[in-house]
Amino acid sequence: MTAVSIKDLGWKYSGRKHFAIEHVDLEIPENSFVSVVGPNEHGKTTLVSCIKGLIPNSFHGVWRGQVEIFGQDVRKMSTERLAADIGFVFADPEAQFTSMTVEEELVFGLENIGLPLNEIQERLNWVCDLTMIGNLLDKSPYEISGGQKQRVAIASVLAMRPRIIILDEPTSMLDPLGKDNIFQILTNIKKDTDLLVIVVEHNIEQIAPLSDLMVLMYDGNIAKAASPAEFFENSDFLLQHGIIPPQATTFVDRLKQQKLYDGTLPVGLEDAIDITSRVLRNHSTPKN
Amino acid sequence: MAAQATSVWTLEEGEVRKPGIVHIVALALFTGIGIVVGTFGSLAIPIGFVSAFWPGQAIQAVGSVWYGMWGGIAAFVFPLISNAMSGSAPLPVSLAYIPGNFVQGIAAGWVFRQFKLDPSLKTAKDWLGFTLVGILAANAFGAAWGTTVLRIFGLITPDAHLVAWVGWFLGNSVASWVLGVLLLKFISPLVVKTKAFCKGYWA
Amino acid sequence: MDQALPVASTATTRRMRKTLLGTVPVSSPLYQLHPVTRFITLVFLGVVSLFIDVPEINILLIVMVFIYLHWAKVDMSNLKIYLPLTITVAIFMFTVSIGFPSRLPGYHTFQFLGITFYFESLYWTFASYWRLMAMLIGTIQYFSTNRERETLVAIRTLKAPFVITYFFSLALRSAGMFLEDMRTIREAERARGLDETSLALRDRAKLYVMYMIPLFTLAIRRTDEISNALYARGYTPSGKLENGVHRSDYILTKYPIRRIDIIVISAMIITFITVIILRVQFGIFAVAQSPLRIFLLSLWS
Repeated sequence: MTAVSIKDLGWKYSGRKHFAIEHVDLEIPENSFVSVVGPNEHGKTTLVSCIKGLIPNSFHGVWRGQVEIFGQDVRKMSTERLAADIGFVFADPEAQFTSMTVEEELVFGLENIGLPLNEIQERLNWVCDLTMIGNLLDKSPYEISGGQKQRVAIASVLAMRPRIIILDEPTSMLDPLGKDNIFQILTNIKKDTDLLVIVVEHNIEQIAPLSDLMVLMYDGNIAKAASPAEFFENSDFLLQHGIIPPQATTFVDRLKQQKLYDGTLPVGLEDAIDITSRVLRNHSTPKN
Repeated sequence: MAAQATSVWTLEEGEVRKPGIVHIVALALFTGIGIVVGTFGSLAIPIGFVSAFWPGQAIQAVGSVWYGMWGGIAAFVFPLISNAMSGSAPLPVSLAYIPGNFVQGIAAGWVFRQFKLDPSLKTAKDWLGFTLVGILAANAFGAAWGTTVLRIFGLITPDAHLVAWVGWFLGNSVASWVLGVLLLKFISPLVVKTKAFCKGYWA
Repeated sequence: MDQALPVASTATTRRMRKTLLGTVPVSSPLYQLHPVTRFITLVFLGVVSLFIDVPEINILLIVMVFIYLHWAKVDMSNLKIYLPLTITVAIFMFTVSIGFPSRLPGYHTFQFLGITFYFESLYWTFASYWRLMAMLIGTIQYFSTNRERETLVAIRTLKAPFVITYFFSLALRSAGMFLEDMRTIREAERARGLDETSLALRDRAKLYVMYMIPLFTLAIRRTDEISNALYARGYTPSGKLENGVHRSDYILTKYPIRRIDIIVISAMIITFITVIILRVQFGIFAVAQSPLRIFLLSLWS
């Protein structure tokens, strides 16, 4: 089933001369993992904000086209429905904190959608276990480490059990260890849930292996949308559009250009090692 | 220059502006800032109820220039809390100050909208409007109201009314003019681009 | 602004809870009382003195508040910041009263250092000062012993509209964020070699005014961010769902109202009503009934 359907979408922020995104068409199936990549200021955040309904509901500007979430026009959905169906994790976790303790932060959205108190308690326990933040409940969300802040931000969205979760550059403000933690959580979400996950991310190396669909935003348009294997087919095109493919992909692509291999391109190191081993076996000259 | 100044307050073609969550957030954040600045002002150089340096009125005036009536509400809400935290006035006295504080704030918001003055203080007219109405007239009224409250509560004698008024007026005006000019001049260009900025009184 | 933190005391290390204006041990008996009880104490102490002109009773109220703070194990050293204010208020009030006294016929006068003093005018100022101090100490004790969260719980318990409770909570939080940003900027300046102590008062004031520009810029950016976050999490100012039902209130379940709260709140309401009746119906608590005043006037006769 199609979860997100975007038709000829355009958005111009109030007071700006040009449209931030224009003529965007995209269909996203449910239960998939989508990465939105591309250089800064090319429309990635605007696109996901349109899917979440933040645009046009929380911004002034000019809207064109249509976005449907499970067949419903996003502009006609209530705040409560949007909050329950679509979770949104911001790049800066502090930018999404609305409460004075981690516990209040986690239950804020659940209170807003009117869940019964026992279910709020049950979901609070569940999400604390999933994201390992049970020891932080009494603390102020502003006084914990960067990695913990982002885990709290993700937990507060996961607790809502939305059908779609959007993460806008969730690792951009974290150290390497914090980034690894977030990618581990994303791996768990992909493995353990049937959510549609949409992630805006610059870390191609780590996001590509998780993705079912990769979308390249460039100059306010979708320059390419394909499965990872197809997405990395043309390295030159990607480099021209500000994307550096994973090293594993680049390496196998070189083999391909030298006619040593003609299969699909891998995105992970394991697959690249497999392919390389096969290539070496096939091209090794028997000593006789 | 005049056309540019007008454009700050004029709606673009087809532009719809409605009060929303962002205005409640702006109101809360401005109230929070007012609490800090007001408390600091009252504790810094206290001379009784009449502070010799109370830059809180700058927050009241600038808030209503940028956020219209939301700034006007913040103008009377934050002194309730800052007066309590600084110990400069008890709750009943602070409640009685409300109309004075509201006028101290909204006067600047009114003059900028009424005469299409530029919040970034670009012309002599902008400076004059802010100084005469936003600071001097607003504080003249606010001080008159405040000292009358002090008199009603028996905290000053009738004979001391004028002296208290002068102290209040000067204590507010000087500090607030300096801070208000800085805020309007340097931060208005940023604020007018945000969605919380109110071209009208509510949005 | 809201967490419990260890603070070294003279003998042992106690876990302290940071309040709006001070620190209180986590183990303080004060926390036996529901936040709404503490909030009603603020209103009670803020208003009851309006009906009491007798300075001795207001001084007694102040003493009682100090006993309460001592019982609650509040770190009293934080209250020192109010000392200059209490002194300057007294100087202001008495200067005004001496310089511009009320001069009604029949007032008792005396001369000192060549100045004529009007006893009734002076005593009224004395009574007003203690009435004001009693009202202020009520406010100070509240802010010294409560956190933002408790204030929020109190006003939610009183069934204030959701938009007001949320606004109030965000305003207090933004005050904290503003101070935190200011601390960060000051530390950055010190790291670049700025020594504030070497600055003249005027330069220091100028420095503080200049801090306002980055602080406001940060706060204004935050306005957009927080409003987006609220929208994303389903916040509606009315606090009502599509079907008209109110949003849930999980946090309140953490604060049950106990019998002690009912007793304390009832005692305050009964006392308040009694004071009003005694004052309005029977004229009790008027300044003329002050024992000290009666004694001093007896010296004239």
